[in-house]
This record gives sequence, C-alpha cells and structure tokens, in this order.
Amino acid sequence: MDKKSAVIEKQARLQEVEALLKAPAAAPLAPLPREVLVPEARQQTPAVRQRATRPDGRLHGLGQTKYIDDYYLPGMLYAKIKRAGIASARILRIDTSEALKMPGVMAVITGKDVPCNSFGPSLKDQPVLADERVFHAGDGVAAVAAVTEQIAAEALEKITVEYEPIRPVLDPLESLQLETPGLHAPNPNIYGHKVIRKGDVEKGFAQSYRIFEGSYRTQMVEHVPLEPHASVATWDANGRVTIYSTLGRITLGRADISRTIGVPMSRVRVIATVVGGNFGGKNEITTEPVLALLAKKTGRPVKCTFTRPEEFLASTTRHPLVMDYKTGVTKEGKILARQIRLVLDGGAYCSWSETTLGKACILSAGPYQIDNLYAEAFVVYTNKTMTGAMRGFGAPQVCFAYESQMDDMAKALGIDPLQIRLTNALREGSLSPTSQKLHSVVVRETLLQAAQRFGWNEDGGGNGAQS
Amino acid sequence: MVTVTVNVNGEPRTASVPPETTLLRLLREQFNLTGAKLGCDVGDCGACTVMVDGKSVNSCLMLAGQADGRDVLTIEGLATLERLHPLQEAFEQLGSLQCGFCGPGILMSAKALLDENPDPSEQDIRDALAGNLCRCTGYIKMIEAIQGVARADGARPAPKSA
Repeated sequence: MDKKSAVIEKQARLQEVEALLKAPAAAPLAPLPREVLVPEARQQTPAVRQRATRPDGRLHGLGQTKYIDDYYLPGMLYAKIKRAGIASARILRIDTSEALKMPGVMAVITGKDVPCNSFGPSLKDQPVLADERVFHAGDGVAAVAAVTEQIAAEALEKITVEYEPIRPVLDPLESLQLETPGLHAPNPNIYGHKVIRKGDVEKGFAQSYRIFEGSYRTQMVEHVPLEPHASVATWDANGRVTIYSTLGRITLGRADISRTIGVPMSRVRVIATVVGGNFGGKNEITTEPVLALLAKKTGRPVKCTFTRPEEFLASTTRHPLVMDYKTGVTKEGKILARQIRLVLDGGAYCSWSETTLGKACILSAGPYQIDNLYAEAFVVYTNKTMTGAMRGFGAPQVCFAYESQMDDMAKALGIDPLQIRLTNALREGSLSPTSQKLHSVVVRETLLQAAQRFGWNEDGGGNGAQS
Repeated sequence: MVTVTVNVNGEPRTASVPPETTLLRLLREQFNLTGAKLGCDVGDCGACTVMVDGKSVNSCLMLAGQADGRDVLTIEGLATLERLHPLQEAFEQLGSLQCGFCGPGILMSAKALLDENPDPSEQDIRDALAGNLCRCTGYIKMIEAIQGVARADGARPAPKSA
C-alpha cells in the first residue's frame, strides 16, 4: 500500500470513529409551560397549619446524628489555640520551647509557620495566627497538638508571649475620626462605605413642620450555637488534606484553606455534616488551616473544638451600630425627609461586614414611603471581636432605630403610633430607597390585621403600649 | 489513672481513665456513646444531660469516678431495636428538634421528669427543661411533645403498686 492511500484510509477510519463518538443531536427544546403554577399573592398556602417533620428528626432524637465533635479518627491528636488576651499589641517574642518539651505534645506552631497568613470572606485581613500584631483579645498566637486535650491545655500555659501594648481603639466613633493610617495600616480605618440618595433632603427638611433627631445604639451579640465550632484535619499519603468541619460555606472555606496552607484547592477536601446551629456564625473558617498544618507536621489527624469562652472571643458576632436619624415630618406625621448616618463597629477584621453594611443601609429607611432620603453608612475597624454575618445582616439593628424614632415622633405629635405607621407605610407601587418599584406590598393590611387581632384599639389607641 | 465500672444502658462497662475525666468524656471517648454532647463543659447548657440512678445529671459536671458502680442511662439506651421511646416518637412527629444538638439532653431531662411525675403541668415541664438550652428556640414544640406523651400515658390504667 502506498503512502497516500494509507493516509486516506486512516482519515476515513477517523471520520467513522468521530461519527460514532459524536453525541446524538439534541432533542428540540420542549416548549415551556405557558401557565406557571405560582400561588396567588396573599393566598393562604397549603403549608399553613400543616405539621412538618424533618428527615433527620429521628436520628436527632436517637442521639445518632454525628456532629463534627463526634468524629474520633484513629491516632487523633487534640489541638488548642493560645489566645492573645490583649486587645491591641505588637508581638515581640513567642517562646514555645517549654511547651515542646512536655511529654505528649506533638507539635506547636505560630503565625510564622503559616504559609500565607491571611484570609477572609471579602477582605483578606485576618491572620490565621497573629504573628506581628494582635488586633483583638481573641486572636490566636500559637497552637498546640497533643495526645490529650488536657495536655494541650497545659502546654498553652507553658507558651510565653511578650507583647508591646498599643492603645486599643474600642469605640466605633473614635475609629471613624482616626486619621489614616488606621489599625490595619496602610489601609484606612473605614473599610466600607455606602450612600443612598433619593430626592432632596434639604428641600424636604425646609418644608417640614418639625424635625426630629435621635441617636440609637445596639450592642454586640454572639450567636452562641449550642454546638461549638469544631474541625478535624487529616492528610493522606498522596498529599491531600481532608477537613471535617462545622463550616456552613464549604466552597468558600475551601478556597481560604487552600490559600492559607499553600496547597492547591484540588488537594483540599472539606466535609461538612449536620451543623448544631449556625445563625451566620459558621460562615467562615476559624481553626481549619491551623489543624491542617498541625496534622501535616505530626502526620496524625488533629481535632479542635472551641471551648464556650472561645465561641465568644474568637468567632464572629453581630455588628454593634451607632445610628443617627434626622427626620422631618408634617403636622400629621407624614415623613417628608430622612437623613441617616450608620456607623458599623466592624471589630478587628472585615469578615461579612460589607454585606451587612449594604443591607443595613438599604433597609435603614424602614418600610416607609420617603421621597427625600439620604443614608450614609460606614464600617470601621476597632480592637474588638470581629463582627460578621448574623441573622438579618444588619436589618434588626436599623429596625430598632427607625421604629424607636417612629414612636418618639408619634408621642411628640400626639398621634397614635399605629396611625403614624399607616400614614407612612409603603404601598403598592411605592419606590424602595434604591428606587425599585415594589409589588405585593401589604404593610398596611398586615398592620391593621395585627392591630385588630391583639386588640390595639381596645385600650384607647395603644396608649397602654406607650406608657 | 482510675478504673471505673459503670452500668451503662444496662450493661456493665469498665475503663481506666485519668482522674480528671468527666462522666461526659468517659461516655464519649471511652464508650463511644456520642449522643450526650459537649456544649459548654460548665453545666450551663444541658446538652450533656444523662440519667444517673434515675436522676438527670449534667455529665460534664460529674467525674467519671463518681459514677463508679452506678446506673447510667444515655440517649442511646432510650429506644430498643424494635421501637422508639414515646418521647422520641413524639419529638419526631412534632418536629421538635431543629439542629438537634440539644435534643439528647432535652429528651433525657424529659424522661427524668416523666419518670418522677407522669402528669406534669406545663410549668413543671418548663421547670424540668430549665437547665437545657436550645438556640434554635424550639421549646414550644418540645413542651407540646412532652405534654402529649404524658397525656397518652395518663390515659392508660395506672400501674398497680406493689
């Protein structure tokens, strides 16, 4: 056979194979159903008054659900983290030699052992273990892996850290005034800012019968999930790490773990299981990189379960807010203009502050029709436990402020607190603070029905509620 | 090290543990009974509740040595292979548990209550659960479930006293 015909034959065979491998032509797309079954707005759904059981309910009741802390791997070590216990300081020296001498202590690491010592869901401003600077009392400065939890706890006491204290910034308003460089120099102290502008507030205030000003503050809140944060890390012989964790967002966590321990994401496997309460507090990594590094150093699985004090010190919390409200109203209580300044106490690290900032700012006007609005929100660093996601992402805080002011205004104007809300409530087609046209708005109907159900008018227009 | 023999869920079991070991860690780490949970380790949350000689106890506050020679009932001993305990059944039916972490402790507190007082008032139930925290805030359905079990038991003829 000559060369040319061999080539032709080969090409023909290739075409045959190609035809075989080709996926069959896709079936024509089925037309979408014209009528989409969506329950009518304001209709009682069939779920109401139905009893719901959970698929995992039986195992919960039998005590058979395995949470992370219920995993015991063969040869597993226990890790403990030494917390700084000082709000703001420069770390001068960490001495782990005494701890390492203890029988039963298998490894000790500090921030210097972390390949890339920074992580975070949005800004990468949080160290895995603080190495140069302590930004809040719950910062980890060293970690120990030992054969028992007891030995690990004792070893922590043998670690000495020398600090040079720096005056901490604890008040968000003070932090707001701080000139650059801020706590995380060279980054500014204000690490998030948002403005919502609608209409002309100055014009609205000029037309107002009265202007009310009030300042409202909320406190820091810890999620306190009944199950403390826990994770177990173990490496296989091929250099892949498996981490069992109470993490709620495993994909995000996987990226942060990969970054901090310097291992490609394809070699990081995160296994999450039933979580014993999250409430927003288990949305980012905590000790996972530390455990991965300790497990690599010792060649054994390593587990760490937060103590209850660590839950308060070293996990995220709800943002405390300082909220200044200035509202101009007519004699009848109709809001003409509202100006808002929110200062979110972001704590030592960003975490989910940007999300919280946005949501708090958008919702800060309340469910009210306000044509002239100016809302400005800042989130600032302080030397406190970092604040992050928690049920509502900033919405409950601003609700406290605007509803408090509604009550103050109603009282001063001699208007029923229900009436002032009905006067201002959003209606069908109202524009939201960000000028989104709203549909299925039932604020007024809800208020009226609620007032009727709990007898608001029976004791004289809610005077009882005001006293 | 101390050697402890405990009658766990009707079976004698022995372990040699450091003296500072709590009953909770003995159950979880030595006997592989992980139903009782570690929530706070200081007796605040009740996730570690088990029954010792018929009384509900925070197992994180009792040393393993103190349980030597006593009867311990854990959540794992509540059901048989054939059937769930009525409390477990009622909790499942009513969806009383959400994340479930407090569940084993709550169920053991409820069992201790019903053993002592088969016809508790709502306040009795609330008092019995006072040492058990639930952060998903599911207390109402738990109370309803316990009430339901108490009523169903009350409908049966009372056991003849010896």
